Order: sequence, then C-alpha cells, then structure tokens
Amino acid sequence: MRNAICTFCGNACDDIEFDGFVGKNLCPLGEAKFSAKQRIEGPVVNGERVSYEEAIDRAVEILVNAKRPLLYGFASTVNEAIRLGVILAEKLGGIYDQCSSVCHAPSTLAMIEEGIPGGTLGQAKNRADVVVFWGCNPVEAHPRHPSRYSVMAKGFLTKGRQYRHVIVVDVRKTATAYLATEFYQVKPGYDYAIFSALRSIINGHEDAVPDEVGGVSREKLKEFADILVNGKYGVIFYGLGLTHTRGSDRSVENLVKLVQTLNRHTRYIIQPMRGHFNVVGASAVAAWEAGYEYAIDFSRGHSRFFPSEFTAVEALIRRDCDAALIIASDPAAHFPKRAVERLTEIPVIQIDPHPNITTLIADIVIPSALVGIEAEGTIYRMDGIPLRVKKFKETEYWSDYEILKLMLDKVIRLKGE
Amino acid sequence: MASKPVAGYGGVIILLVMKPRVDFEVNVEAEITPELAAKPFEEIKQFKVYYGNRLVPLEELFEIEKKGDDEILILEGDFSRVKWIGKSMEKGEVVIKGDIGAHCGAFMKGGKITVEGNADDWLGAEMEGGEIAVRGNTGNLVACPYWGNLKGMKGGRITVYGNAGNYIGEKMCGGEIEIRGDAGDFVGTEMKDGKITIHGNCGYVGGDMKGGEIFIGGSFEVVPAFIKTDDGFIGDVNVKGKGKVKALK
Amino acid sequence: MALQIKNGIVVDPKNGISGEKMDIFIKDGKIVEEVKKNCRVIDATGKLVVAGGIDLHAHIAGCKINTGRAMRPEEMRFVRRKSNGLRAAVGRTLLTSPAIGYEYAKMGYTTAVDPATPSLYVIHTHEELDSIPIIDKATLPLFGNWHQVMRYSADKDIEKLKSFVAWVLERTKGYGVKLVNPGGVEAWMYGGNVHTLDDAVPGFGVTPREIITSLIAAVEELNLPHSAHIHCNNLGMPGNYETTMETIKLAKGFENRDRQVLHVTHVQFNAYTGSSWRDIGSGAEEIAKLVNRIESVTIDMGQPIFGHATTMTADCPWQFELHKLAKAKWCNRDIELETGGGIVPYVYRAKNAVNSVQWATGLELGLLVDADKIAISTDYPNGGPFNSYPYIATLLMSKKFRDEEMKKAHPYIEKATSLPSIDAERTIEDIVKMTRVTPARVLGMKNKGHLGTGADGDVAVYDINPMDYNSSNFQAILKALKNPLYTIKSGEIVVKDGDVVSEVWGRTYWVDVRDKTTTELIERDLEEYFNYYTVNRENYGVEERWLQNPLRVMAG
Ligand code: SF4
Ligand SMILES: [Zn+2]
Repeated sequence: MRNAICTFCGNACDDIEFDGFVGKNLCPLGEAKFSAKQRIEGPVVNGERVSYEEAIDRAVEILVNAKRPLLYGFASTVNEAIRLGVILAEKLGGIYDQCSSVCHAPSTLAMIEEGIPGGTLGQAKNRADVVVFWGCNPVEAHPRHPSRYSVMAKGFLTKGRQYRHVIVVDVRKTATAYLATEFYQVKPGYDYAIFSALRSIINGHEDAVPDEVGGVSREKLKEFADILVNGKYGVIFYGLGLTHTRGSDRSVENLVKLVQTLNRHTRYIIQPMRGHFNVVGASAVAAWEAGYEYAIDFSRGHSRFFPSEFTAVEALIRRDCDAALIIASDPAAHFPKRAVERLTEIPVIQIDPHPNITTLIADIVIPSALVGIEAEGTIYRMDGIPLRVKKFKETEYWSDYEILKLMLDKVIRLKGE
Repeated sequence: MASKPVAGYGGVIILLVMKPRVDFEVNVEAEITPELAAKPFEEIKQFKVYYGNRLVPLEELFEIEKKGDDEILILEGDFSRVKWIGKSMEKGEVVIKGDIGAHCGAFMKGGKITVEGNADDWLGAEMEGGEIAVRGNTGNLVACPYWGNLKGMKGGRITVYGNAGNYIGEKMCGGEIEIRGDAGDFVGTEMKDGKITIHGNCGYVGGDMKGGEIFIGGSFEVVPAFIKTDDGFIGDVNVKGKGKVKALK
Repeated sequence: MALQIKNGIVVDPKNGISGEKMDIFIKDGKIVEEVKKNCRVIDATGKLVVAGGIDLHAHIAGCKINTGRAMRPEEMRFVRRKSNGLRAAVGRTLLTSPAIGYEYAKMGYTTAVDPATPSLYVIHTHEELDSIPIIDKATLPLFGNWHQVMRYSADKDIEKLKSFVAWVLERTKGYGVKLVNPGGVEAWMYGGNVHTLDDAVPGFGVTPREIITSLIAAVEELNLPHSAHIHCNNLGMPGNYETTMETIKLAKGFENRDRQVLHVTHVQFNAYTGSSWRDIGSGAEEIAKLVNRIESVTIDMGQPIFGHATTMTADCPWQFELHKLAKAKWCNRDIELETGGGIVPYVYRAKNAVNSVQWATGLELGLLVDADKIAISTDYPNGGPFNSYPYIATLLMSKKFRDEEMKKAHPYIEKATSLPSIDAERTIEDIVKMTRVTPARVLGMKNKGHLGTGADGDVAVYDINPMDYNSSNFQAILKALKNPLYTIKSGEIVVKDGDVVSEVWGRTYWVDVRDKTTTELIERDLEEYFNYYTVNRENYGVEERWLQNPLRVMAG
C-alpha cells in the first residue's frame, strides 16, 4: 500500500508505504503506533466472552437506561464513526465529548471570542519567512512537521531553511529550540502577559511595558516584535505549552489578538499543533451535526454547549453522568484522579482495538478494527485538510462504524422513534 | 423542617422550603424562581425539572413545604448539585442555606439571592439587576457572559464574602462585584463599565479593558498594556481603553 | 407508491402553464403523464402547485460554515421545531446540517447548491452535503485564485485550462466553476487586494479580466451545464457597481444557446455607487438595465435581511476589512496555492443608513431585473437566513408590504435608492420563475424547476390561489409561502402543513467532462505542482464511492 496515511499524530503524513505492518517513511512515533501490539481478543461482558451482537445489546441496555450517558473519545477514529457517535448521543440524551476537551479546547474557546486567523500547513511550507513555535515541540511530538511543513520544507516561494526565520518560545530549551534562529525562554504562566506586551509594543505603547515581562527584558521583546513585524508571511504554531498554561483560553485569545494586530502590518496566521490524528474531525463532525465541537449535552433532546460542566472530566467530577461509552481513548490512564474514581463507580463500555487501563475498569469491552489498516474513512489533519485513511488488510474485527451503527439502530428501535 | 425566620422579614414565615429527598444520580437542572412559591401547592409539587434526560416533578426529588404565598424560596441542605436556581428571576427572594450549584442567578433582573454556603461557577452570569450575596466561596466565571455573547453583567450587585475563582466580570457593562477574599486570574477582562472590588489578592487584571473601575486590596498583576498614573493604572492601551485599576484604600 | 396531486392550480412557466387547474402525477420519483392505480391522492383544490424551489447559491456545507458554527455558539442556541423521530435542529441563521435540510423543505425548496468549496477541503464539503437531509445538492469548486489557473490565464492557454477544469471537477466531484474576487485572494497573501479588472496579480502579472475571460472560454468550450459563476472584485465597497458592470460586459464576447455564459452572484453586494460610506447609494437601476440588455448574463439578488448574519466568503481581503469595520471576531483561512476563506459575524440594522441602502438595493434588483434573469438569494448566510425567501418574495409581490417595511428602514434610502418610487409588483408566476425556472436554467438542471413529464418529482403546494389573491393582503401571502401545505421530494411527502414529517436523502450532482479533453496536457504541470502541496496527488480529491448518493452528469 502506497500513499497510506499515518494515523498517529495530527500531521497525518500521507506518504507512508506499507508492507504488512512495516511502514516506510514513518517517524519513530508512527512506527511505534503501527508496530504489532496486543489486541483485545473478542467482545467481553463482565469478564465473559460473548458475540458482537450480544455485547452491543447489553451496552445499549445500559445506555438507554442511563439518565445522562457520557460518550467520550473519538479523536482516533474516522468521521463516519464520529457522526454516528454524535447521533447516538443525541438519541440517548447524553453527552458527546472528545479528546479536544483535554488538549485544545482553549483554542475553541479562544476562537469563540476572537476567531482564528489561520491557514493550511502548506502556507508555512510555501510562503512563510517567519515561523514561530510557541509552547510546542514538534521535534518530539510531531517529528516530521519541521521537514514536511515548516522549518526545512522546500516550498514554492520559500525554498528552504535558509529563507526562514525560526523562533521558539518555551519555558525550557526544547529539542525544537535547537533548530531555531532565536529562542526566547519565558517564565511559566506568563504567555498572556507577553502577548499583551508585544501588542503594546507593536501598537506604539512601549511605555506600558515594564522592564521585564515573564522573564524577558523589554529590549528583547522589542527585538522580537521587530522580527515579527518585518516578516512577509508568518506562521505561529502553538501547542499544549500554551493551552495547558495558566489562563489557557485567554492566553490563546491574546495570541489571536496579537495576530490580528500583526495582520494590520503584514500577513500572519496561527495554527494549533493538534495531537491525535483526527481530533479535528471529532470537533468538525459534531459542529455540523449538533452545532458545537465538544462538551455537548443532549439531555433536553437538542444540543447544548457547556464546557464548564459537560466535558468528560467535568461531568465525571461533578457526578453528572451515570454511564460511559469510551471510544478509542484511555481516560482511565489520563484523566484526573477524581474523574477516574467516578468512572469506576458507573457502568463503562469500551470500544478499542487495544487493551489499555480503561479496559481494566470497563464492564463491556468491544474490540474494533484498526483505523487506517483494517478500516477506512475520513480524517482531518491538524489544519482541517481532509484525508481518506485506507483499508488494506482484511479482519474479523468490526469497525467502529459498524459497531456504532448497530448500537444506533438498536437504540432507535428501543426508543420507538 | 423549616428553619429560623429570614432576616429582614420581621419574623413572619411565609415561604416555600425545599430539601433534597434523594441522593442524586446525576445533577438537577431546576429553573426555579421565587414566583413558584406563590403558586398553588399542587402546581408546585408538579413543577418539572430536568433530572438528566428525564423531566420529573419537583416532589420526586425534593421535600417541599409551603407556608403562605409570598415569593420567598428557602433551599435547605445541599443544593450543590442543583443548577439554574433563580435563573432570570425578577423579584422575590431566594435563601440557600447550604451550597448551591452552577448558574445561580444567571440572567437575574431583580430580587435577592442569599447563599449561606458556597456557590459554583457562573454565579450571576449576564445579570441585569438585583442582588446576590454569597457567604462562602464561589467558583469561576462570576457574572461572565455565556460563550459567544458580547455583554457580561449589566447591572445589579454581587457580593462574595469568601474567595472567588478565575474569570470575574468579563465584558462587564454595569453593576458592581465585590469579593471580600482573594480572587483568581482574569478580573475584568474586556470590561466596559461598572465596578469590581477585590479585597484580597488576585492574578491578571484588566486585559483589554475599555472602561470601568477595578479596586484591589492585595497583590495583583496588571497586564503590560496599562499606563501608570498617580493613583493606579489606566488602559488597556491596545484597545484605547480608559479603564482604571487602583489600589483599594 | 405513486402520488397524485389533485385539482391544484398549477403554475409551471417553463411549460407555458400559468394557473391551470390540473392534476400532477409522480411515479418512481419522476413526474409522469398519468397513474391509473395504486396511487396516493393529495387534494390540492384551489391551491398553488409548483415545482420544488431551487437555491443556486447558499453556503450550506464545508469548512466555512462549519468554522462559523464552531466560532458562534451564540448562533446555535435556537431550537427549531421538528417532528418526533427526526434529528434535533438548531441554529438562528447558522444551522446544523439536519436543520438546513428541514428548513429548506419547510418552505417548499428541494435543491440547493453550495457555491464555493476550496478543492483541498472538498471531502469535508461532501461529508456535510451528505449530512443534509431531503434536498438535492451540488458544490462549485473555487478557481479564481488558483495558481494553475492564473498561470494558464497569463499564458492564454485555454486548452490546458480546459484540461485543468475537467481534472478538478472530476477530483472534487464538483458541479461548476466558481470565481471569487479573482486575483484578489492571491494578493491578500501579501496583505493586498486587486481593485480593478486590470490590476496585475502580484507574482503572476495576470489581471482579473484575463482570469475571468479565460475561465469563461474554458467553461464554454467544455460546455458545462452551469456557466462560470462569479463573485466580483471589490465586493462591499462604495462605488463598486462600475467594476460589476465591466465584469458583466465581459460576457458579451461569448454565446451559448441554452443558458447564460456568466452568472454574477449576490449582485446587491456589488451594486453601490458613491465614493465613501457617507455618500453610498444604489447602482441597481443601471445594473438592471445592463443585465436586461445582455442576453448572456444572469444574476442573483444577495438580499440582506435586517438582523443577524454571518459573512463567509473566499474573499479574504474583504473579510479582513469587515472585521475591522464591524469590530467583530474574524476567522481566516489561507489555502495553499488555491484560495482562501474568511468569516465575520454581522448584524444588518434597519436604523443604519448603509445597511438600509443594501436592503433597498437588493429589492430594486429583484423588482427591476427580468424574472428570467434573476434568482432570489440571500447569499446564505452572508445576507441572512435562506428561510427568509418567503419574506423576500412577499416584499416583491406586495407594494403595501414594501411600504410597511420601508418605514422601518433608514430614511436615507429615499435619497440613495429608487426603491420608494418603484410601484411594480411581482406576480406569482414571476416568483415561480425567480425561485424555480431561472435557477434551474442557470444551473443547467433540466429536470428541475418545472413539472413537465420526466421532471424530478419535487413539488410544493401552497395555500394560495394564484388566480385569486390580493397583493395588499401580504400577511396571507407570507403565511402561505412560509408554510407549504405539502413539500414533495422525489415523490415522497416530506412536509405537511409547514412541518417536516419525514426524511429522505437527496442526490449530489457532479459534472464529468473528462472526455472533452485530456489530462495528458497538464500531466507535467500537475507533477510539478504537487511538489508544493502537502497532500500527495493520490490522496487529493474524492472518489465517487465515498459519496452517499452521487449523480454524475456528462456535459454537452
Ligand atoms: S509525524 Fe506524525 S503523522 Fe507523520 S509519521 Fe510521525 S507520527 Fe505519523
Ligand atoms: Zn456566496
């Protein structure tokens, strides 16, 4: 299989050549993802092996009787399955939430405030002469990003590394910082203030900026502002360093405001460095089906958006859900302790190709086909560009789509609609 | 059991008392205002609230006692998992003897809410008038606008005797907020008018502030977009703002 | 089962029927001569029976509207009525995909075309189209700022351009050729714009005039069912009607027996006189004269509706201007070597002089341009919700209603537009043309917009008698148009008494003209060009089998 798509990180590299399980062009992260791993053998209900149909029946029974079932995960499956997940949440009167809520939700909240002046990764490759990495470390988290899209990419107008000014801003000297032309080390939690300071300088109000902001001297900040304004086309990539910092959503919002300001002088776009390969699809599908990207409650029959209450973590901590369906995710390993405690108290249904920590607490476990190898469908790269992941290996496992389809059919029948 | 007379009501007990009857399986959304207290008792008992995806009558979840016809609502016990109490209320009074859930007093236009315990997030969100007093602490987003809306608190008064969380008075256009204890980050972001007083410490103050006044008793961090004046700061310069941030005397 | 719509008063201008009592029969999704048995009967005695409505320009799917939804939760909090068992439907002017299908059906519409998809994002557009229930649909890929197009236009190489158009339509499963501010979006990549048809596009030397005429030539030689479809340069700016007139005149050099050679869209936004916001006025009268005179041009209104809207176009530089003007949030997306897109929320205020001029200008166009040359549109959601079409139709049909509504608008319109002095009232037949016949012809959809044998079984029945209604009783007209007694899609009753009662799934039209040219011509260019893409050529575009219900149209 040529031109296959790597289903690990938000780069969604589409030049992978597969020969069985060995993929050419994969980076170490991609290789780890595709190396043969333990699979869940078959559907299990309370420790007993059952058929797919039976496991789904039992799952549906739990879900329709719940007062507010939580449906969570989705960032590592295809849009076709995600769509059914959203509709299932609607028909059940439950919550639809996806992995964004623990990574780039602040970006959505910032967009709600100010919008996002963005573009495709190809803009960085073809046009950018200034590339900024703010609180992100692609060398370790998105290994092929620098060569495919940003730092070294050979573009139409920007022909390579020597034509780009690369800036890294982070709280420590990361691996990516070693690729940079300039590195600014900032104090943790001061991104918001630094964005305001840069805006003040660019807007001609140096007098409002104290001698030092967030560990960076005013002189340094002026120099930084100068580089930014003098770029012809700049791209600012930002990551969890920003979305997981103090005042995360307001920090991203302030970055957006900085980019708005920069666009009054030259051209700039920003791009969040999204983690899972289809976390963007998990947002987008929900938006067209229900109007919002995550933290959607359907208890009243229609969608409502309350990220302060209906993200998976909040709903669990607030004890506001009484059953959970987890798809292609491992909340038991990654959620805060109080949220995991609640997960252990309520019935949990898991759909996943591989066993993980969540499997240990799940009452029903339904194995699924591997997306991008055993199951096809559409995914969205970090910049929203849609790609079709391929199926090139036959399997006995049901795909996420097939599992959710049968669940939805049964729920609709039970609800008599 | 109904409690002691409400302060300020001359000892006359004429009110509706509610108490949780069950340990909730999921949280309750009860859009109840004091007006309910004036309704016939049968109607009150049948009043529908959201219990997850079910609509259930009030009496299924709460013990209810009615004494008189005045618009006073007394909530006894733990209401920390009951949301939207006092939503859009226009008159009358709510007294919460313990903790209260999120969105208490959202869109409130008049009347009074007293919380003797702690309040959750979104206290007095988009409030237009009336008064809210919280004896304990509050969560995040006090008096903020809901996502995508352009105006926060427009009028009325909120007093919190304890501490408050992050995001206070965002996009505030009028009214007053007073926090007697400490507050978190982002006080008065994009504020246009009105007054916020924090007696204790807080984090970032005044980002993109256009107008209004913020007084702070303890330590705080003004965003680097304010000009120092004789008695404090004025900004945010990035939005040509004339907001004032001053030390509380 | 077959369907008989009995005793209705049929208005079917394309077939020369203007208010005749007759029966309409539908079998297997198509209009047939007659069905004798096994036929469900709908009584339409004394009611208006027409073909299903067609929206030829509404941004109903793809990354723009979807980013709009995500950015505007304040738009999504409105819950719409629906029947049990159907999907929840929410949204004020921005709607979810299920709501879009339902709201179209609820006003008797059965077809809508998304007019602007960036090809790189086309899979997304089709996913959303496939999530819209009931209606038939299609999408037009954006060409006007594509590097390849600008290169071929600069070289005057129409053969290569034809080959490229055919390649793109096949790869995108697109229906036609859309241009948005040709050249201007590429200039925006450096913070600029183009301002006249003869400004050079930075880096290419080509002019908007050359891009437009080259693409018209390519479309005509390929004889696509739909002509080139253009959003003109200088949209939104005072004085822009001159650019629009010049653009319209570019159609003079071409001819087509069946249809126009250029469709100029949402003309209201491009029909202003004046030199600033202070002296802005309507250029609608002059534009209407020109459009009526030039055989080969059609337009649609782009009517703004007082209230909320969300502007979204590929016209990035304009969206940035609007972000600054309206001081509103702003999404932008620069799309490598192809196009771009921007989104800004907007409110049209009756009290505002400029907004009132816009409102009046749209209506002038709707009243002054021949009914077979103009279609009703709001450029959804740019001018406002599409479900205000009954309101627009009623304004056009009733002078009294216009007078009432004009009282709410800013008095500046008396000076700046001719609307107050127009007494004309559109007939029901005119409205049927502007919402059915004309859009069907503009799009080249021969089975749509009429009720002749073989036409699609898409029908709307309204509670109004076209032979006997009073134009000053505008409330009755509005109510009838807003609440069809029946909407029938492919022979299935989907709306009854104004409510959606069942869901069917429509088709996605796309055009295949690969047999009119050969990809060989551009093979080497494509190879070179994909070096600069971040998606491999093999992963570019959409396969027919990925669509739920594709309908391939061979041109010519
Ligand atoms: S960079 Fe990401 S998408 Fe590309 S191969 Fe590595 S893990 Fe896979
Ligand atoms: Zn448009």
